[in-house]
Amino acid sequence: MTDIPAHPTDPFDAEAINATEGLDPVDPAYAQVLRIATALNLIPLAIGASVFDALLIRHIGGPYGLITAAAWVIAAIVIVSFPSRRVSRWGYKIGEGQLRVARGWLFRTDTIVPFVRVQHIDVGQGPIERWFGLSHLIVHTSGTHNSTVTLPGLHADLAAAMRETIRRHIQTDFA
Amino acid sequence: MSDDAVIAATESEPDWQRLHPATLALAVVELGPRSLQFLPAVAALGFTGNWVWIVPAVGAFLLISLGAAWFQWLRFRFLVGADEVVIESGVFSRQHRTIPFDRIQDVSIEQGLVSRALGIAKVGFETGAGGKENDASLDAIALDAAQALRTTIRAHRSDEVAATATAADAPEALPATEDRLLFAMGPRQLLLAGLFNFSLAALAVVGAGMQFFDGLLPFDFNVFNPRDWIDIAEDYGLDQWVIAHRWVAGVGAAISLLFIGFASGIATMFFANWDFRLTREPRALRRTRGLTTRTDVAVPVKRVQAAILVTGWFRQRFGWHELRLQSLASDGGKENDHQVVPFAKLDVIDPVLDEVAIRRPDAGQSWQRSHGIVALGGMIGAVGATTGGLVAVSFGQDLGWFGPALGLLIGAGSLFGARFHRWADLGEQVAIRRGAWKPKTTLLPHASVQSVDLKSDFILRPLGLATLVFGVPGGSSLGAHEIPAIPLAAAQDLRTRILAARARS
Repeated sequence: MTDIPAHPTDPFDAEAINATEGLDPVDPAYAQVLRIATALNLIPLAIGASVFDALLIRHIGGPYGLITAAAWVIAAIVIVSFPSRRVSRWGYKIGEGQLRVARGWLFRTDTIVPFVRVQHIDVGQGPIERWFGLSHLIVHTSGTHNSTVTLPGLHADLAAAMRETIRRHIQTDFA
Repeated sequence: MSDDAVIAATESEPDWQRLHPATLALAVVELGPRSLQFLPAVAALGFTGNWVWIVPAVGAFLLISLGAAWFQWLRFRFLVGADEVVIESGVFSRQHRTIPFDRIQDVSIEQGLVSRALGIAKVGFETGAGGKENDASLDAIALDAAQALRTTIRAHRSDEVAATATAADAPEALPATEDRLLFAMGPRQLLLAGLFNFSLAALAVVGAGMQFFDGLLPFDFNVFNPRDWIDIAEDYGLDQWVIAHRWVAGVGAAISLLFIGFASGIATMFFANWDFRLTREPRALRRTRGLTTRTDVAVPVKRVQAAILVTGWFRQRFGWHELRLQSLASDGGKENDHQVVPFAKLDVIDPVLDEVAIRRPDAGQSWQRSHGIVALGGMIGAVGATTGGLVAVSFGQDLGWFGPALGLLIGAGSLFGARFHRWADLGEQVAIRRGAWKPKTTLLPHASVQSVDLKSDFILRPLGLATLVFGVPGGSSLGAHEIPAIPLAAAQDLRTRILAARARS
């Protein structure tokens, strides 16, 4: 999609990973999707922490306000800063007859699925993804380990195009 | 419905058949364990003081269950057509299922203890559809009808016209002439295998049982208690001598421990593998075994994905191995891979491997080792156990000394075991070896690999290492196939070569 100049290999520069491994980045808008999803997970937790603080800590005369403040600060940091980092560590490449999906940095997994081994393909779109015009691609193989490989953060048109590419390979190879 | 109608199965005229009437007897037997569900109700009746109602309630429960079984039997019918099996079932909601012979990978025949007495067998159709609930079964029809049905379907599959529909009335006599016996186990071999099957797990069970039922046993004797051995000696007037030589009691306890370990090993081996036969059929390897529950399983040769050779640190010295095959069509939830040779030397295993076109690396094969970092997990566990134990000791709990001792054992074990993680690329397949206590070698043809993960994390990356994980069809109870902690370049190279392989047809 976008061309990223080859960074010098700095292990702490997230974008360098994709560049050095020759992977395409996922759509930057996926960061917004992740951010909203994270917010939907964390805000209820923070509210829960506040209620716990108000009901219990004040009741037993502890340091009231500490837990509430900590919960909201941590939630804000996680919501604001983490998603874009996580997104930059997803990468994919449609190669010659194979799909390559890499994710994570602390625990990085780099998966390759040959198109020939694909059983069927899903293109999914959640409500938040639809908002940003994104889709995710799920590739099913018959292996027990890795029976599904998910690639999120693709533009809806691109996901559909990738599905067609993979589908053509399945047909040609089994015909 | 009589047996004759069932045996007439293989004619092509459309006549519906029912399951064998003895199936109802099987339902009665199955009521035994099922009536346990009824116990809470009985207890409730008892507690509320309605004792008079217990017998009618149990009676009604039995009657309803039997009635339901009878209705189900009445409403279950099947039809064996020229090229398909049709099954209709269900009392209220009817289910109609058609299975073309072409889609049936194989027919399995299973007989439990009661089924064998009644001469009936459960017939399962393996269609290769995902999930067990998608596979149809007939529970149960007469054994000879089951074997006739299997012969029909197999004949259809292998395009042989001569369908010997009425063949074979004994379960041992396998039909079809071209079947070749690959491996069989006689009582002598079973005994030998059982001796190596010495299990400490059984000891734990017996020990726990002894503790639990201590007061209930008709004899007051605990083999694990040296005091009981002294008591025995007392009966024979030997008590003075035994007390003088306390070690005799210890030896007695140890001998009985050993005896239980060996006896349970031999018993499980005999029950599971009695009259073990592995035969090569046109399309599959067929395995029949079992003393009380006889199973008859076919592993289609083309569906074999990987072979796993398991041995033990002790039996390895005598050259004994076990061979398992990982297959796409797995039979039942308990067994994810098929044990095709439970206990044999390598020269017996090699012909079986030849049948599935998998080669075993010869002795001269050079193996590459995983990095020693694979011991890290064990080391962390060891440190955890040690600190936990020491904390307990510092609180004055003497049992805490178990912690450091255990930690030392775990640490030494994981360091030692790390040296046994090895792999070799044999050109068309990868061999992965691991384990010191129970060494196992996985032979994975490149063509079976569906996807490859190259994993690295914050520990492996600075060391320039990566872990390869392979997605292979058909789960293995022995865990995912992976090569841990090998140099990144080697991992990438191996990945490229594996992915270049063509699909295993």
